[in-house]
Amino acid sequence: MMIDTEHKPVILLVEDNSFDVQLIQSALGRTPGEINLIRVEDGDKAVDYLAGISPFDDRETYPIPITMLLDIKLPKRSGFEVLQWLRSQGGPIRRLPTLMLTSSKHQVDINQAFERGANAYLTKPDSIKELTSLMGELKTFWLKRVEMPEVKR
Amino acid sequence: MSSAQGKTEVIRAPQAGTAVLTPNPLQSERVFRLLVESLSDYALFLLTPDGVVASWNPGAERMKRYKPAEIIGRHFSIFYVPGDLEARKPENELRMARETGRHEDEGWRLRKDGTRFWANVVITAIRDTDGQLLGFGKITRDVTDRREAELRYRLLIDGVTDYAIYSLDRHGNITSWNSGAQRIKKYSAEEIIGKHFSQFYTKEDAEAGLPAKVLHTAATTGHFEGEGWRIRKDGSKFWSSVVITPIRDEAGELVGFSKITRDVTDRMKLLEKIQHHADELEIRVAERERTNAELEAFSYSVSHDLRSPLRAIEGFTDIVLTDYGSQLPEPVLGLLQNVVQSATRMNRLVEDLLNYGRLGRIEIESAPVSVAAAVKAACEQIDENLRDEIKSAVDPSFQVSANLATLTQSLFNLIANGLKFYPPGQKPHVDVSASREKGDIVVRIKDEGIGIEPQHLERIFQVFERLHGDQLYPGTGIGLAIVKRGINRIGGKVWVESKPGKGSSFFISLPAA
Repeated sequence: MMIDTEHKPVILLVEDNSFDVQLIQSALGRTPGEINLIRVEDGDKAVDYLAGISPFDDRETYPIPITMLLDIKLPKRSGFEVLQWLRSQGGPIRRLPTLMLTSSKHQVDINQAFERGANAYLTKPDSIKELTSLMGELKTFWLKRVEMPEVKR
Repeated sequence: MSSAQGKTEVIRAPQAGTAVLTPNPLQSERVFRLLVESLSDYALFLLTPDGVVASWNPGAERMKRYKPAEIIGRHFSIFYVPGDLEARKPENELRMARETGRHEDEGWRLRKDGTRFWANVVITAIRDTDGQLLGFGKITRDVTDRREAELRYRLLIDGVTDYAIYSLDRHGNITSWNSGAQRIKKYSAEEIIGKHFSQFYTKEDAEAGLPAKVLHTAATTGHFEGEGWRIRKDGSKFWSSVVITPIRDEAGELVGFSKITRDVTDRMKLLEKIQHHADELEIRVAERERTNAELEAFSYSVSHDLRSPLRAIEGFTDIVLTDYGSQLPEPVLGLLQNVVQSATRMNRLVEDLLNYGRLGRIEIESAPVSVAAAVKAACEQIDENLRDEIKSAVDPSFQVSANLATLTQSLFNLIANGLKFYPPGQKPHVDVSASREKGDIVVRIKDEGIGIEPQHLERIFQVFERLHGDQLYPGTGIGLAIVKRGINRIGGKVWVESKPGKGSSFFISLPAA
């Protein structure tokens, strides 16, 4: 999986539920387009990854992602806190397109996510069919349609 | 009589009609006699040292009805009532006047015809330059009217038993006491008159100088009004409402205070009780808010945590079916379908329960809503294949006071229900109509499906109540409970009429807007 990292765009998935990770991985696999999905399981690790703090300082293995899928309810640091940290950074990393992917449909959460600088808010679909089509749409939109900012230093 | 000096020009003899002015007028005996005779409101006459009537003025005649000839030479005790005679009052009064020079009295006196009047009497001893007693001057005034007014006033004050009405001199010493005061403060008039009113105050208030302060306020502002604890004779406390008004004489000089006190302990206790209830209510509300917040957090975690394993069950089963389905025996495929179906159903149950729970807690704001618009929005959520089976005839002008989302959700649930409960194979059909009934708009959702047995009509609006197996009519059993709670929360009513085998009509009634 690591071999082709330089060629495959990296999506950073911040998700504590391994089953959800597996389902997302599976859904991504069913859609065209090569993606390297790298997963961290809590908010602190997400910050470490983006900041390049050991063990994530090896950018060969842990490249800067082109986008981040961020859950809200996470161990240690919540998705909102990660988002706030990200948007307050000095370097170009703060531009990283960030999509909330969560099971919460609460309006307060949705509002807060956008207030803190999320680029989209998605709820986890109930069926694998819907999840697959969501992942397909994401790939099409964010990897093909959207003109991406520079996020590397 | 000295006050007559300087007013001579207005003195006229009753019959004369002309002013009489002599070069030395005030020393004229004639003028003096004219003055005496002009005093028609006063009986003014002389008595011999023994009490025999020696002169008689027109005022005396008017008041006592005797002509001078009838009375001069008779003893003045003739004016006294029998009781006073027995008490030897005439003699005593003359004695007092003789000893002190002057005696004043008020009491009943008799007219010639035997009728009584209330007299104010002043008897003055008249002596010559050697001090020899020449006789007595007697001035009598008929003050029956004043006495009656005073009596009425006193009876009035005394008749007021709900208020302590009493007066103070300007230092705060009690000078009068009504029966209300006795009832409220338990002191009798004899016990308390002459005492200082500060003894009604609590020790703390008295030490803080409150009695002096309230008198000062009343004296300087013309009024004092306040409430506070006061002490009865028996030491018990009562909550009083007090009004103090200063009393001033004609010159504006402060002579004392009138004080009206009411025992409002009951009202105070009632207020305290109300306050207590209000406090309790506040605590309950706070508790409820806390509970609501906890429930909100709970439902949040339910929607987040409880559903994620469901998603996993559904997702993984689906992956197995899609990716490995061809390698599995037929019965396994069927069983896995059941797993997917159960997970789907569980998902819907959780979703419905969350909605139902949220309906009970959140604030639902009401606003004018078009019934036709809500019906249209509800129909748009119905399965495309069934949408043509709904016939809606709602007056587009009908507006109700409601919440659009709640009303739409309720209408959707009722329409979907109506379409669902038909015998298998029969084409379903639902009619939506609305009518104005008094101040309400009643929406009717009518089907011609299987209907409901009368004994179940009550149950169907309760959570998890289902009348049929989920094979034939799938559902969570929460739909109608959501309708009832939602419509009730926006001030409406829901009911059903049904005939088994013929169909059901559900009604939503909401206030017209």
